[in-house]
Amino acid sequence: MVITARTTRRIRILIALIIGLVMSAPLLYMLAGSLMSNSQLSIQPPQVIPSSLHFGNYPAAFSGMTQVIQVRSFVNSVVFTAGAVGLQWALCISGGLVIAKMHFRSRGLITVLFAISLFIPLLTTLIPTFVVTYKLGLINTYPGLILPIAAQTGFGSLLFRQYIKQLPEELFDAARLDGANWWLMLRRLVIPLARPATAAYLAISVLTAWNMYLWPLVAAEGGSLQVLTQTLATVGSSAQGEVTPQNVIFASVVIVTLPMILVFLAVQPAFIRGLAGSGVE
Amino acid sequence: MSVTQLSDPVLANLSAPVAVARPRKRRRDGRWAAVLIFPNLAMFTIFIVVPVLGGLYLSFTTWDITNGFPRWVGLANYRQMFHDPLVWQASETTLKFIGMGMLPTVILSLWLAMLINFKFRGISVVRSLYLIPAAMSFAASAVVWRYIFLDGPGYGVLDYVISKFGVTPPDWLASTTWALPALDMIAIWLSLPIATILYLAALQRIPDSVIEASTLDGAGPLRRVRYIIWPGVRYMTPLVAIVSLLSFTNGSFDLVNILTKGDPINSTQTLIYYIYFESFGLGMWGYAAALSILQVAIVAGILVVLRGVSSLVNRW
Repeated sequence: MVITARTTRRIRILIALIIGLVMSAPLLYMLAGSLMSNSQLSIQPPQVIPSSLHFGNYPAAFSGMTQVIQVRSFVNSVVFTAGAVGLQWALCISGGLVIAKMHFRSRGLITVLFAISLFIPLLTTLIPTFVVTYKLGLINTYPGLILPIAAQTGFGSLLFRQYIKQLPEELFDAARLDGANWWLMLRRLVIPLARPATAAYLAISVLTAWNMYLWPLVAAEGGSLQVLTQTLATVGSSAQGEVTPQNVIFASVVIVTLPMILVFLAVQPAFIRGLAGSGVE
Repeated sequence: MSVTQLSDPVLANLSAPVAVARPRKRRRDGRWAAVLIFPNLAMFTIFIVVPVLGGLYLSFTTWDITNGFPRWVGLANYRQMFHDPLVWQASETTLKFIGMGMLPTVILSLWLAMLINFKFRGISVVRSLYLIPAAMSFAASAVVWRYIFLDGPGYGVLDYVISKFGVTPPDWLASTTWALPALDMIAIWLSLPIATILYLAALQRIPDSVIEASTLDGAGPLRRVRYIIWPGVRYMTPLVAIVSLLSFTNGSFDLVNILTKGDPINSTQTLIYYIYFESFGLGMWGYAAALSILQVAIVAGILVVLRGVSSLVNRW
């Protein structure tokens, strides 16, 4: 039997496709389920492709008896993500410039501090971070939700440092000859030139913030500051799950996840560069 | 190559920039540096440095945060921790959760990366299938997987598939044996995309010609993996391990809190969840702070072990 190179190639493509479908199966199941009626969902064997489409699950997730998603939670998620990422970006790109290009004594120490903080995720310092936020009177406020997350500047500062360090020194010398100070160099030189690093940074941190669950859970105990991950958690834990129909729950998960899937598909190359870049060297 | 060197090029390069970037006339940017890094360091100090040090202090106190000041109790919390069977169980559960999750993540992600490391029309679509779960939160995944794991005749999709093979499916989330592995499956699924991206980046730096040459030399797939692929990507393994470790530590809380609340019979109670319960549930803030120190110690311990393993693996 002769297996040609062409056939092996086709087999490889086929295997890659099949395994890819397996890997994304839970997502496809969620998408298909969000378009089915509840009787379609409970049929055995399970339907892979819905026999008829029920788009009504989507409006049902927003209103009426089956409402899962409050507009307020959507707004909260957007404010939280934009606030935390925007603020953190500003802190990180200026911090990155400082530890990449400026000469001063404690530079090494600061860089090491950032590096160490990578191994102390918020989760392990949840208790004292909550205490600090609580004592500042910020629990159940937007600042309390946003500031402790924006303060996790270790990863971002190091990412920008890596990128800014490789910008040619001559650019900065030239700007200095033109009389620019560091603030102007940050605004006119670094921010425009570091756009690829910003893209990678945004890709990773927007996903992280939007998907964050634990901090909003403890920082917004009241409810009016609830974000979307909490909304999902409420319908996902068993007690509530029986009340809301499965198809509406699936539609809600799609509504919450779809923005991030679109973001991810749009920035996939930047995302991959950002991650892969952190490993190279 | 060691864990820290790899994960942190910064540490490795610390001495380098000073030597390389020295200008003709030594320049001092102290004042501007202070101005530009002040907001960053101020936030970093308030919300990271202070909590880390404050947490250490709190671990020697007993305190109900809603009233009064922390009262110094010395090592009492640590002694209590040592005699608390739930702490031992939670630590064991945490280690099991991480251990059962990391190894499959590392192996599977390398395999997946190899599967999608070749070029054909439509490869970007196929790659997206592998990578899209990275966009999903632990919370959202928990909701979907809850239905995948549903028990009982005629319910969960997974049970249907398994019973097709003539195997009786377990009671996933309701079983003391299977609940933790079930949570691990979700966490593995969510950790794979990032691990795969990292390995893919390493694979793409191996020239196609090298792989082709080995095929022409008649090297089988196993030998190819052992002598061409693995030496090319093993430097990435410590980073993959660390990223997965952080993902498993962070994700465990979300999954446990949404799907099992530590049940059945505490079999899924990880240390993080126990800390959350002791503080926000019972108001034992000093004790919870001491437990947080234990949590940091466990993560640090795993990092040390990984370091040892990776130096072994890299010699192999």
